[in-house]
Amino acid sequence: MAGGGEALGGGGKQKRGSSGKRKGKKRIGFRMDMTPLVDITFLLLTFFMLTTSMITPQTMEMNVPPEIDVPVEVRQSELFTIRIRDNGDVFYNSGKDEPEKVKSLKDLLKIVVDQNVNLKNRCIVTLKTADNAPYGIAVEVLDVLNQAEPLIIDGLKRNGINERKRKFTVSPFTADDHKELDAL
Amino acid sequence: MSKVKKKRLGFVMDMTPLVDITFLLLTFFMFTAKFKSESESQQKFTIKRPASTADTTKLPEKDLVMIKIGIDTVKHDTSWYLSMVNETDVVNLANEMVKLEYPSADMRTAQFKINDTNWLGKAIERARIVNPKAMFAIDADKRIRYWWIDKAINEMRKKRATSFNFVTDKRK
Repeated sequence: MAGGGEALGGGGKQKRGSSGKRKGKKRIGFRMDMTPLVDITFLLLTFFMLTTSMITPQTMEMNVPPEIDVPVEVRQSELFTIRIRDNGDVFYNSGKDEPEKVKSLKDLLKIVVDQNVNLKNRCIVTLKTADNAPYGIAVEVLDVLNQAEPLIIDGLKRNGINERKRKFTVSPFTADDHKELDAL
Repeated sequence: MSKVKKKRLGFVMDMTPLVDITFLLLTFFMFTAKFKSESESQQKFTIKRPASTADTTKLPEKDLVMIKIGIDTVKHDTSWYLSMVNETDVVNLANEMVKLEYPSADMRTAQFKINDTNWLGKAIERARIVNPKAMFAIDADKRIRYWWIDKAINEMRKKRATSFNFVTDKRK
């Protein structure tokens, strides 16, 4: 490194001495000490590398019916309800069946797909979440429902249906739901 | 034919390629760096987002109304925090809120801390007026009660904002 510094110094002196009087010889291939430049660039580089976060948050799109809406009549047998209790337990039932506890979310995925494929597009999945249930669990269930979509489309295609009409909705958790789940 | 190597004192290394690469990386990181927005620097909480499986949808960078629900790190209370992303919207929303005489609002507030559903509804309405194209996104901590989400959805429904997004993190 010291050699580089000397070379630079020498070059500078020569230039200063010759300026004005003589036309300087055009130097082909001169050397500049780049160490300070590299120092600073590395410093800045590490700063920017450490401060940037590459992970951008994702989104999960939801649609809810507008407030002033005529209630849609739904047949009980076509309704598939998923309920999340205050303590975070997830229950499911179709129609008027007794609610059953979901052991793991993977099971739920399978059940939802089967329901939808069996009912051939007429199944309506609703999610009801109790007020005190943690939001994280609600999102996990919604995620399962989102994951189910491509599988449902696949299943429907195998049955000769190329269109997917109904998706899932969220609806309020009522006092009746509380009673029903507490009775279990 | 081994020669005894002379120890070289002060040798010169060509650093040009090194400088080239570092500058390239530096410019890349400089351009991709995103700095905290006004509303983010005003907030006193961090959000632990719920995880979801990989998806291609990303949060839009403009025309967005964010409803954050976070737990204050100092006071340990939960509230709604409404903010907008577009810079002109931020100013307009602040003006509107000052007109409505929202407590603790001034011209430079970028993020409104809201504690009751009535004000939340009003703020959502104003945000809709300021930018009708804006999408709504709910960015909430996974530990909070679902009640907060339910109320926010209800207020949005009343103001005809029926399509919105939940902000999540990618599951690792």
